[in-house]
Amino acid sequence: MKALYTSLKHPLARGGGIVLVLVVITLFAAFVRQTQASPEQPILFPHNLHVGLGIQCLYCHPGAARGPNAGLPAQAKCWGCHQQIAKKTPELEKLAQYVQNNEPIPWVPVAIVPDFVKFNHRPHVAAGLNCETCHGDMTKVKIAQNPQVMNMGWCLNCHREKAKDDPVKLQKLIDCSTCHY
Amino acid sequence: MSQEISRRDFLKLGGLGAVATMVLTGCGTAARYVRRTPYTKMPEYTFTGQSTYFATTCRECPAACGLIVRTFQGRAIKVEGNPNHPVNAGKTCARGQATLHGLYNPDRIQGPFKRSARGSEQITPLDWNAAIQVVAQALRETSPQGIAFLLGMAPDHLFDLVSDLARALGAPAPIRFGALGMFEARATLRKATQNVLGQDGLPWFDLGAANVVFSFGANFLETWLSPVAYTRLFSQMRRGERNEKRGYFVQFEPRMSQTASKADEWIPLRPGTEGWVAQALGKLIADARGLQVAAFSGVNVEEVAQNSGIEVAELQRLADLLMKARRALVIPGGAALAHTNGLENAEAILTLNALLDAPITLSPLSPFGDAYHQPASLQEMAALIERMRRGEVQALFIHGANPVFELPAALGFAEALQKVPLVISFATFPDETALQADYVFPDHHGLESWGYQRLATGSAFPTLSSSQPVVVPFYNTQATADVLLAAAAQIGGAVAQALPYTDEVAYIQARLSPLLEQKNGFFGAPEINTFFAYFQQYGGWWKTTEETVKPSWENAFNRRLQVKAAEFAGEGEFHLLPFISPVLGEAGANKPWLQEVPDPTTTVMWNSWIEINPQTAEELGLQDDDVVRVVSDQGSFEVSVYRYPAIRPDVVAIVFGQGHTAYGRYAQGRGVNPGQILKPVTNAAGDLAFAATRVRLEKTGKKRAISRLESILGVYGEH
Repeated sequence: MKALYTSLKHPLARGGGIVLVLVVITLFAAFVRQTQASPEQPILFPHNLHVGLGIQCLYCHPGAARGPNAGLPAQAKCWGCHQQIAKKTPELEKLAQYVQNNEPIPWVPVAIVPDFVKFNHRPHVAAGLNCETCHGDMTKVKIAQNPQVMNMGWCLNCHREKAKDDPVKLQKLIDCSTCHY
Repeated sequence: MSQEISRRDFLKLGGLGAVATMVLTGCGTAARYVRRTPYTKMPEYTFTGQSTYFATTCRECPAACGLIVRTFQGRAIKVEGNPNHPVNAGKTCARGQATLHGLYNPDRIQGPFKRSARGSEQITPLDWNAAIQVVAQALRETSPQGIAFLLGMAPDHLFDLVSDLARALGAPAPIRFGALGMFEARATLRKATQNVLGQDGLPWFDLGAANVVFSFGANFLETWLSPVAYTRLFSQMRRGERNEKRGYFVQFEPRMSQTASKADEWIPLRPGTEGWVAQALGKLIADARGLQVAAFSGVNVEEVAQNSGIEVAELQRLADLLMKARRALVIPGGAALAHTNGLENAEAILTLNALLDAPITLSPLSPFGDAYHQPASLQEMAALIERMRRGEVQALFIHGANPVFELPAALGFAEALQKVPLVISFATFPDETALQADYVFPDHHGLESWGYQRLATGSAFPTLSSSQPVVVPFYNTQATADVLLAAAAQIGGAVAQALPYTDEVAYIQARLSPLLEQKNGFFGAPEINTFFAYFQQYGGWWKTTEETVKPSWENAFNRRLQVKAAEFAGEGEFHLLPFISPVLGEAGANKPWLQEVPDPTTTVMWNSWIEINPQTAEELGLQDDDVVRVVSDQGSFEVSVYRYPAIRPDVVAIVFGQGHTAYGRYAQGRGVNPGQILKPVTNAAGDLAFAATRVRLEKTGKKRAISRLESILGVYGEH
């Protein structure tokens, strides 16, 4: 290691070293970005169009009001409307193909938390939160995106804010075992 | 610069970089993205992330325990007992738990087919319309006397439907058979009850009300009659009443079974002397109380002691134990009844209860009010085989039974089957009998089926247990009831008129409708749809009052009883005692969970073994895992030795349940089937005297290790 430090004292090596570090950081950032991006969805589903037509979130994700998972709609639900609608786009052709083959559509959920977080939709809906509070305004989003980093700080900020006038409730909402058990 | 960075430094930096990359990316969301496979069609009553629970009935044995099955996203996940059910009160046995391994068994028959030749794996798939056509044609074109229906042991809705169909066709009534019934000696128990009490039905032994229990060979904690119900009563007996010591339990049998291993005393009497021992105990009690009991009067206690190997003082002590009990109970069952003198043994043992005010009643009738439907004894099966052999059976329909495997080979079922021109099997699994069928039209698995089932015994409350599909059928199977109803409709005429039901559920509802009139059920409903909904929801319908029949013992005191000596077939020096596996039962061998559950007494898994007393093994020069040839006058097989200290030196015991030649990848080619070498002798009630065969052991010089859980290091001192 000592040899490394000595060699770095040379001005040329220092300049080269800085360039090298910058290159490594840039490559690393690009690489991290690449790995953090969500995989491609099987069908480029336009949320904005569906929500814009006035379809309620809970129509396709009814589990959100009942339990932990919002759930992904079965293709039978898609097909309920879409068998009546002309298949104008290649995306709808894909849907027709899935239905014809009776294959499940391999959706990729984007709003996800790690396994050690026991997230439950129901108390959040019961507390009067709207879907867009966490998931963003879907009338403006085509393919589903996660508008925020869903980490513990984000959860706790909101929990602290909502319960700031009620110490008992606050204690419950920031207790570890509320989400990690 | 490169020459100034040593190889070691380079590796250090490289390693640091790799760790940083792994930490940064591994903790990111990318590692958590998953592709979901949602339903193409969401099953009814299902919500993402929530379990749905269904009540149904266990079909692993005919005891009819109630189950609650947890399903998740349309798949059955876990089986538990139904806490409200009168038979099992929330408990299950291992076989009930493993019913999932039947549902998900990879070797299930996945659709109807025709076999190119019997025993051949070459098949031509059919569609269900063609299958129904085949059934309808067979029923229409065979003369009614040439039709035979062979069903499993459970007295369920299919049995009722086939009975109705047979009546409409003018064909003989369906025959029900299962190896469990054979090993329980059910027919013997019923016949003995008839002879001793003059009443029909299966006795109900209320262990919970007794504080001393003697059992002659009844393995009621394993498979006997209704094991979960009896286990519940056993634990009640063991807890004892208030301010009383726990109940005392003595088991009489030549080999220590799992039930005997739970006993306070295990008495290894000589096989076939059970009746005499009961008579001797009866005589000692009657003499002490100054009573005259005809069945026990002529007994010579010294002689019994000599024959059975239990000393007189010991018999006296046991008799005192019975006399001093607050309430004593003596149970006949299993191996004690499986001798040529089995019926007399059962009668002697049952008569002993007359002196004891034993808590025995007769099992209640079913809610329909019909009498106990007894499965066929070996004699009745032999009569069917004789009909088949003489060519009187032209079309044989088999559902829920595997006689090719279960019956003693010497009875010749497989050969007689060759004389039957048309064999149609409705098997769910590719068992030995389905392999010999011309057509296989698979029924759903029990967890995919509708139905109801009567209890033969198992509760003091008249009960009808319900079944409903907990999952959508996985394969192209169809309910046998639906196939038969569709075939009946095709035949038309009187047959279609006798069965005017659109499907299985319509038939079940029609059968249930008389229960709407009954007032003392735990639920009622004004019309059938509501009734049926409750019936499914609660797992059945039962009355709120006990309706067991009181036995009349007067007859028992005056009845003379001569117990003859048991006869044994064959020349060998050992009694062969086959016992039904407490874990596998008759049909559990295709379920890996059950295969890998260690046998409760020997801890052997995945195989057969022969139990030999270590003393005998030493005389013969046999060690553990040595392969011996077991020879009776009916045949022979080879099996590994297990030295078992808890068996009489003159008895060898072998497990029944393994040795399949078909029945899927987990079952076949594993162990041996003792049925191959049993001599098909019966007792006076027509049940198989399965303990009446004598065998000889031949050393083969081979060694084949059997897998077992226990360690035997140091047990016999050689390590």
